[in-house]
Amino acid sequence: MGKIEWAMWANEQALASGLILLTGGIVGVAGQFRGWPFAAYIISAAGVFVCLLEYPRSKRAKGTSVERTGQYCFTVCVKSFGPLTRNYYVRAFLHAAICVPGGFMLATVLGCVCLGIASLIYLAAAIRGEHWEPVLPQKETTRKTDPVSVRNPPEMPPPRPPPEVRRKRVDDLEGAAYDNPIPVSDK
Amino acid sequence: MVVSVRSWVANEGGKHLVLMLWLGVNTWLFLKTFLLYYTGQQYHYLYKMLGLGLCISRASASVLNLNCSLVLLPMCRSLLTFVRGTHTVSSRETRRLLDKSKTFHVACGVAICIFSVVHVSAHLVNVVNFSVSYSDDFPALNLARFRGEVRHKCLHILPGVTGVLLVLILFLMFTSSSYCVRLSNYEIFWYTHNLFIVFYIILMVHMVGGALKYQTNLEVHPPGCLRANQSSTEQQGKELEQGEDEERRCREEAHFQPHYPQVCLCVDSQHFPYTWLWVSGPLCLYCAERFYRYIRSCDPVTIVTVIRHPCDVIELRMLKKNFKARPGQYIVLNCPGVSSFENHPFTLTTCPTENKKTFGIHLRVVGDWTERFTQLLVPEPRIDLEILPMVQQRRYPNDGWTGFRLQRLYFVWVCREIQSFYWFAELLCAVHHKLWQENRPDYFNLKLYVSQADILQGMSEDKYRPLTSRLLVGRPKWKLLFDEIGKTNKHKRVGVFCCGPKGISRTLHRLCNSARSSGTTFEFNKESFS
Repeated sequence: MGKIEWAMWANEQALASGLILLTGGIVGVAGQFRGWPFAAYIISAAGVFVCLLEYPRSKRAKGTSVERTGQYCFTVCVKSFGPLTRNYYVRAFLHAAICVPGGFMLATVLGCVCLGIASLIYLAAAIRGEHWEPVLPQKETTRKTDPVSVRNPPEMPPPRPPPEVRRKRVDDLEGAAYDNPIPVSDK
Repeated sequence: MVVSVRSWVANEGGKHLVLMLWLGVNTWLFLKTFLLYYTGQQYHYLYKMLGLGLCISRASASVLNLNCSLVLLPMCRSLLTFVRGTHTVSSRETRRLLDKSKTFHVACGVAICIFSVVHVSAHLVNVVNFSVSYSDDFPALNLARFRGEVRHKCLHILPGVTGVLLVLILFLMFTSSSYCVRLSNYEIFWYTHNLFIVFYIILMVHMVGGALKYQTNLEVHPPGCLRANQSSTEQQGKELEQGEDEERRCREEAHFQPHYPQVCLCVDSQHFPYTWLWVSGPLCLYCAERFYRYIRSCDPVTIVTVIRHPCDVIELRMLKKNFKARPGQYIVLNCPGVSSFENHPFTLTTCPTENKKTFGIHLRVVGDWTERFTQLLVPEPRIDLEILPMVQQRRYPNDGWTGFRLQRLYFVWVCREIQSFYWFAELLCAVHHKLWQENRPDYFNLKLYVSQADILQGMSEDKYRPLTSRLLVGRPKWKLLFDEIGKTNKHKRVGVFCCGPKGISRTLHRLCNSARSSGTTFEFNKESFS
């Protein structure tokens, strides 16, 4: 268990929690819960914010990173905040702060708890020294040097029979032909 | 690329049929339960209080029941292997369908997540309606203690607490089962997914219910009947016959009772009393399967030979009592010396036969488990000692060739470096020579591809001549390969077995489905463990 990247799992959880918060906010508005105008809109906005923050995946420390579809523009936005988004301590405390208001309305309690769990796992990732790295398209690496065989073309021509044999024997076409040992048919 | 109908049906038809069937059953169950609560007489008063929230929550609950019971069945791998191997399932289409069990498991899992969201949302609305529509006429129906009560959560009742716990466990299981988490940290996925047993135990308790009640005395109190000191509003201004009014009077007050899991087997089609049976059946089956796997794994395995190949590959030959396997199957290795709880799958590269009981795998050192395992098996070479080569048992595949309907085999192998071909060089040359001796040179067609062109370090040994003469530089052009195979095997069925990265798998899948003039059907199969 020593080499687990906790941040990757925390990222999935935080994204799912953002969606749950958003859904909870919508249900709160639809069901006309107590305090729904203020709380529901705030919670939905928080949910959207968390989703946008968590959508771009971080680059893995070791191994190939699998990007989410269309995450490049989100990567650029999140990257522009510099150390605020790079550091996972900041994310952990941010998520903990966002999840607290969710606990006051029944519809969003679940989103609150899920985001709290994600925040704890981000804290664990931060303690282990992980940080967020943007996944940027790599420049085309220079091609490896061509194999030696291309650089040194052969100097000698391939062996051939003497010219008399190569010349077409128009006078003896029958003798020039040969029989196929195995019958060929195209079924 | 134009899709060929015949190939598409061969590759996708069975899968889509099962999908349609499953969707149909789910839809039917949802609608049936919805209508039961919408129109059922015993839920009349409850429906008046709660509205559509009642119907949606109960309908999604019944779909959840179905999917929670179905989701376990594809994971009974030993049972599926047994069913697949018996003669009752002799059709190749059914066997290929059974191979897609993991996809069905994922589909049921996704359905569980979606309907959980629907179920929870509907119950949240129910809680509000219990409070807002507090019923003075039928106090037994209420969940709230007074009108307008803000129950800051139905956490005071058992289904509420268990519901929240269930959603939390489902959240943990779902977020750790995405493709990238499985690929990078399989342990997180494995350990959280084993929380399923806690999920099911809490689910059984959750089903005890009690919040939603149904009316038990319908005969004496038909819903909508008039009470003793009431008269129906629509008859007010009209003359009424005494008799009619009498009929519509309630003879008794309504009695309500919550749903309890019924133990007796009385047939009561309206109440679905067997909901807990739905789930406990497959759960017991899965627990039995895990127990069987554990018992089977208690027999020790002897490692007979360890062979080191280039590019960090180890070949392991082992011996185990009463072990039978067929080509194409895989085994799961657990080495307590490395980790007690980790199990890693490896495809068998040598199967036990009548004459030779050893079976073998090739494993590549990629992660920490394989690294530690290799360190235990093969000691580090010391500079002052020369490692003597281990005695290797080489047996040509003399046995087990009869009884296969295979007419021709094309083996396409793409490697990054040439050294990788040494892993199976002996076996491939042996097969090639054997078939040459038996005058069947076109049975086995070998195509080796090296994607990194470093040919100078070629296989210079003379005994590997059949391999070097079939070696090509660069990636294979799959379309041309398929066209060639199609032309030489017209109107035949060709099985394509792919083991490799997703990119190749997708390309091959698309090519198998595409139309071709030779009338050959390509059936696509793939193997992946992630």
